Amino acid sequence: MAEQPLLQACRVHKTYRFGAHGVEVLRGVDLAVHSGEWLAVLGSSGSGKSTLMHLLGGLDRPDAGKGEIRFRGEPLSLQPGSALDTYRNRDIGFVFQFYHLLPELSVLENTLLPALVFGARAKRRTALRRDAEALLGAFGLDHRLTHRPSQLSGGERQRVAIARALINRPAVLLADEPTGNLDATTGAGILDLLAERHKQGLTIVMVTHDREVAARATRQVHLTNGTSDSAAAQ
Amino acid sequence: MYASLVSNRYLTSRLIPVIAVAAVALCVALVITVVSVMSGFLDMLKASGRSIVGDVIVSSGIGGMPYSDELLAELRALPEVAGATPLIDTIGLLRMPYPAGPQKETAHVQVWAIDPASLTGVTDFAEDLYWRAPKDAATADALAPDDPRRSLDPAILEDGKRLVQSSTNTPGIALGMHVSVGNARQRDGSYLPRYGWFMPGLEVTLTVVPVSGKGKIAEPREQIFPVVNEVQTGLFEIDRNRVYIPLAEGQRLLRLDEAPLYDLTADPDASGNYPVIGRTPARVTKLLLRAKPGCSADALRDRVQATYDAFADRIEADRLRTASMPRFVQVLTWEQQLRDLIIPVEKEREMMRVLFSLIYLVCAGLILSIFWAIVVEKTRDIGILRSVGASRTGVMWIFLRYGLIIGTLGSALGVVLAWGIVTNVNPIHEAIGSDAPLAIRITAWGLASACAVGLCVTALRRKFLPTLLWTLGTIVLSAAALGLTLHHGTLIWDPSIYYFTLVPDKVDWWAAGTTAVGGVLFSVIGSAIPAAKAADIDPVEALRYG
Ligand SMILES: Nc1ncnc2c1ncn2[C@@H]1O[C@H](COP(=O)(O)OP(=O)(O)OP(=O)(O)O)[C@@H](O)[C@H]1O
Ligand SMILES: [Mg+2]
Repeated sequence: MAEQPLLQACRVHKTYRFGAHGVEVLRGVDLAVHSGEWLAVLGSSGSGKSTLMHLLGGLDRPDAGKGEIRFRGEPLSLQPGSALDTYRNRDIGFVFQFYHLLPELSVLENTLLPALVFGARAKRRTALRRDAEALLGAFGLDHRLTHRPSQLSGGERQRVAIARALINRPAVLLADEPTGNLDATTGAGILDLLAERHKQGLTIVMVTHDREVAARATRQVHLTNGTSDSAAAQ
Repeated sequence: MYASLVSNRYLTSRLIPVIAVAAVALCVALVITVVSVMSGFLDMLKASGRSIVGDVIVSSGIGGMPYSDELLAELRALPEVAGATPLIDTIGLLRMPYPAGPQKETAHVQVWAIDPASLTGVTDFAEDLYWRAPKDAATADALAPDDPRRSLDPAILEDGKRLVQSSTNTPGIALGMHVSVGNARQRDGSYLPRYGWFMPGLEVTLTVVPVSGKGKIAEPREQIFPVVNEVQTGLFEIDRNRVYIPLAEGQRLLRLDEAPLYDLTADPDASGNYPVIGRTPARVTKLLLRAKPGCSADALRDRVQATYDAFADRIEADRLRTASMPRFVQVLTWEQQLRDLIIPVEKEREMMRVLFSLIYLVCAGLILSIFWAIVVEKTRDIGILRSVGASRTGVMWIFLRYGLIIGTLGSALGVVLAWGIVTNVNPIHEAIGSDAPLAIRITAWGLASACAVGLCVTALRRKFLPTLLWTLGTIVLSAAALGLTLHHGTLIWDPSIYYFTLVPDKVDWWAAGTTAVGGVLFSVIGSAIPAAKAADIDPVEALRYG
């Protein structure tokens, strides 16, 4: 048998209910993310890509008794809510299409947020600050540290969001259409940035419906009719 | 840690929390101010009550207590007693020297026949005598030009203290300050004669009705007394009703003085008199006692009751005595005696406290609605925080902490505000009671005009909100300026009603502490509901939102 996947969805079902009837968005999705790979999840709008990402990231749980998410072989569904909070904080980094930065916090504070949630001790805080500044510097944002998100362009905001996702050195980066809101050139910049991190060993799961974007990944998976079929890239 | 960062940013990035802090501060300041003034009033009432009747009052029926001198000697020997005095308390009619003409005004009064020397050791009788000559020229010059005290004979105070008119050496009467209509109280608490009736030196006629030990009413008796002084205890009810005469006069008028005791079973002598077999002792109806410092009124009352009972038993057993002590006397502390005066004020204060504490609910409701709006506005932020690993309790704490800060800031500010108002309540009251200074009137009109200019400018720019705000400002400030110009002030704390010249100006720190804690508590309660809602927000929904 091959090595154990880092993150795995096993026959996952997800149904959204309104009152008596529900919509079964995911119908037994199987997905294995191996350490060090860059996986692109493709699918048309409404196919359940975001839903799958939320499940993988521990923000939501699959239908009871219908499949499970495993991280390093451990099923997440058996964990209490507080363990999922810790999982999201330390093992996962989220990047969203609409950046999702806190408008009242500066660029630096937004970047540091997961570290603050982690509960860094005062001693480590200066070190953390240096980490964050280095990260933002590498993303070309060193002159923007005290700016508010509203003062940044879309591409800059997305780079802050990626810095935030990376600050706690997670095992997996979950990016839900990270370039969906950006023009082609800016989007390419963001993808270059992800590629660089990937080269350094970061595992990435990226949702997109753009084939060109998906081509940057090492492997592609299609979501159709609530199930997945995987096809190796290249 | 992130909770403090986020809630601090929410606090400092908008105006609404400032409004919430101001609302909490106003509520807290209002409650503290009202309770402090009421408590101060109650304290003043109690202090003056105690200075009027002493600590413990022994009262018998109308028949009185004999052997009061012996009993008083025993009571004075008790280690708890600082002073004791006998008196007779009855009712009478007082015919006034006014109006001019044969028809005179008559008032019904409470008559206290007192021993002025020993009463002074128990109550503030001597200090309460109002008419006294000024100490020196400087104090005399400070008085109003028409104040009668300017030209008083210094003997008037001694006469009052002894209840004797020294010029004629006749027993005198001291009237409560408001028994006569001749005294007009001024704003500063001084008195000027009204209709020209300055009472000291004038004569009044006092009529009292003696009652026998069996409860039979005898022929009313009257006596003319010169008014030697007037008494201001500070309690309106007392100063309106009470007059003071010497004890001996009271005993004589009421037939409570020492008298021969006749043997009615023997045959009368040639002139029709029965043989004298002894003397009945003089009587008094009340004993007032003052406790030594450190002895409570309640402890003294118990001690006095025991002493009285033992004394009565001894008199009973003594076969040589011609009278016995009444069995049923009331021994009360001053608080029990003055219940009727104190209880209503106490009740009023508690009612105020409860009524004003309802303001907290308004406060909590205000914070609740403000926070609810913020939580709804910040739903997406909550989703983001959850996505980076914030726990539900962490999210809840952001908003609870927010409420805690608003409550703490508001309460602290409220205490400071209340302290400012209460300690300056008299100058503030004085300012409200008099014409506004010209500078303030000009400032008010100036601000109103400035608002009107702002109104014109914004109206020309066709901006609705600023125009509305300027309009409101113009209306309010114009009304205030007009009020300041037309109105000449009102004294809320009318001395003739409340009777103390100064409004109490001490902060009731215990009330301040509990009120501040209440302010914090209700702010936290108000924020708890939106905070719990925030914790319950589904992060996935929140991230899809907006
Ligand atoms: N809370 C919800 N209640 C009901 N239906 C929902 C809910 N959330 C999502 N859905 C439905 O689930 C389906 C999948 O949604 P999802 O956002 O995962 O799709 P997606 O593949 O990410 O689409 P897109 O490419 O447009 O982002 C959609 O049809 C959506 O309407
Ligand atoms: Mg989506």
